[in-house]
Amino acid sequence: MPDRVAWQDFATVEELTMSTATIEPAYNYKVVRQFVVATVVWGVIGMAMGVWIASQLVWPEMNLDLPWTTFGRLRPLHTSLVIFGFAGSAQFAASYYAVQRTCQVRLYSDTLAAFTFWGWQSVIVIMLISLPLGYTTTKEYAEIEFSGAVWMTVVWVAYAIVFFTTVVQRKTKHIYVGNWFFGAFILVIAMLHVVNHLSIPVDWFKSYPVYSGATDAMVQWWYGHNAVGFFLTTGFLGMMYYFVPKQVGRPVYSYRLSIVHFWALITLYIWAGPHHLHYTALPDWAQSLGMAMSLILLAPSWGGMINGMMTLSGAWHKLRTDPILRFLVLSLAFYGMSTFEGPMMAIKTVNALSHYTDWTIGHVHAGALGWVAMITFGSLYHMIPKVFGREQMYSTPLINLHFWLATIGTVLYIASMWVNGITQGLMWRAINDDGTLTYSFVEALQASHPGFVVRFVGGVFFLSGMLLMAYNTWRTVRVADLGLAEREAQIA
Amino acid sequence: MEILFNLLGVAGLYLCIEYCLRHHNSQSLDDASLIPFADDPEVARRVELATGKKVKAVAPEEARPGWGNIDI
Repeated sequence: MPDRVAWQDFATVEELTMSTATIEPAYNYKVVRQFVVATVVWGVIGMAMGVWIASQLVWPEMNLDLPWTTFGRLRPLHTSLVIFGFAGSAQFAASYYAVQRTCQVRLYSDTLAAFTFWGWQSVIVIMLISLPLGYTTTKEYAEIEFSGAVWMTVVWVAYAIVFFTTVVQRKTKHIYVGNWFFGAFILVIAMLHVVNHLSIPVDWFKSYPVYSGATDAMVQWWYGHNAVGFFLTTGFLGMMYYFVPKQVGRPVYSYRLSIVHFWALITLYIWAGPHHLHYTALPDWAQSLGMAMSLILLAPSWGGMINGMMTLSGAWHKLRTDPILRFLVLSLAFYGMSTFEGPMMAIKTVNALSHYTDWTIGHVHAGALGWVAMITFGSLYHMIPKVFGREQMYSTPLINLHFWLATIGTVLYIASMWVNGITQGLMWRAINDDGTLTYSFVEALQASHPGFVVRFVGGVFFLSGMLLMAYNTWRTVRVADLGLAEREAQIA
Repeated sequence: MEILFNLLGVAGLYLCIEYCLRHHNSQSLDDASLIPFADDPEVARRVELATGKKVKAVAPEEARPGWGNIDI
C-alpha cells in the first residue's frame, strides 16, 4: 500500500517535490501542476457557461432578464474562458512540461514562471468580471479592453522569455519539433494580439481601434482566424508531437514530415483570414486570396494528422485498453475532419450558404471540442499522475466514461448544428417567383429550435465528462503518493 | 507578377525546409524523433524493445543554483 496523504497534507507533497534542502529537482513541476489545475477549473466554468447560453437559445427566459446574464455578454465570456482560460492554461502546462523534458533542463527562472501563472490567471479573472459588466472591444476573441490587453501582453512576454531561454539553455543538441510548434504559437500570438489591439484609449475600460472600416474588419479577421490557427492549432500540434509518441511508446511516424508540416502550416495559415469576410466590402482579390490559401492549407493539416495517426503503426492494439490514447487519436480524427470542413466552407460558393448560419458554430466546435479539448484531456491524463507523483489516475474506468461522454456530446453538437446551418442557409436564400423572400427570419428561427435542444443536450454530455475529469483529478491529487512524488522529482 | 509571387512563396518554403534539414541524415532524424524518451531510461528501454532503435537515454542533470535559477 502506498503512503496516502490527506488533502491538508498537500503542502507537504509540494515541499517534498520542490525541496532544495537535499537535492534540487531536475524539473520545475510546480508551475505545471498549477496550470494543470487551472485548466480543469476554467474548463468546468467555461463549458458550464457554454451550456448556460445554449439553454438560453432553447428557453430564452434562462437569461434571467438581467443585463449581465444576457446572451450577448455571456457568449464572449464563454469563448474567452474556454480559449484563454482552459486552452491557454493547458498550453502553458504542456509547453512547460514538454520543453523541460525534451531539452533536459529545468525551466528558466522559477520566479518568472510563477509570474506567468498568476499573471495569466489574473487576465482570466479580468475577463470574468469585465465582460458581464459590458466592457468590450466588440472584436471577436479579442473582447478584453485596452488595459487588460496591455497586462496580457506583459504576461505573454514573460512566457516567451521563460520558454525561449529554457530552449537556449537546453542540454540536447537538437530542438525537438514539438518545441518549434510551441515557439511559433508564442511568437505569432504576440504579434497578432499587439497588432489587433492597437487602439486609442479614452479611459481605463474604453478604447477605439486605430483602424476603421474594411481595414479594421480585415485586421480583426486576420487576428480571429489565426487565433484559431495559432492559439488553437499550432500550440496543440506541439502537444500532439510530444504526448502522442509518449503515450504510444513509439517515436513520431516521420520526423522529416513533421518539419515539412511545421513550415507549410505556419507559411499558409497567416493568409487564410479573409475567408471570414466573403461577400463583404473587403476587396474581391483579398477574399479570393483567403479562399485559395485556405484550400492549400488542407495539405499540411492532413500531413500532420496522418503523421500523428501513423505514429500508432504497430501499436493500434493499445487503443483497446488505453482510454488516454483513445482521446489522443480521436482528437486527431476530429482535427482531420474539421481541417477538411474548414477549407470547404472557405470556398465562396459554399460560404454563400454556410455564412452566418449555425454550420459555422458546428464547425468551430468540431475543432474546439473534438480537437482542442480531446487532445487536452489526453495530455492532462498523461501528465497529471507524473507531476503529482502517482503511477496512474485515480480511476481508469472514469477516464473511459469521460471519453464516451465527450464523444457523444461532440457528435450531438456538431450534427445538430450541421442540420440547423443548412436549414437556415436554404430558408434564408429561398425566394418566390415574384422575388420576395419565402420565409421570414422568425420562421427560420422556429425551424432551428429542435437543433438548439439537441445542441444543449450535447453540451450537457460534454460538461458531464469535464466534471468527471475534475473529480478524477481531485481524487488523484488528494491521494498523492509521497514516495513516488519524491522519486519523480529527482529523476524526471 | 502574381505567378512570380506564388513561385517565390513556394521557393521560400522549400528553402526553409532544406535549411532546417541541411545537417540531417536518416540517422540524425531518427535520433531527433527519440528525444521525448531520452530523459527517461525506463521508458526508453520499452521503446527500444518495441522499435529496435537505440535510445540514448540519461536521467537529466540536477539544476544548479545560479543565474536564471535563483528564486527571489
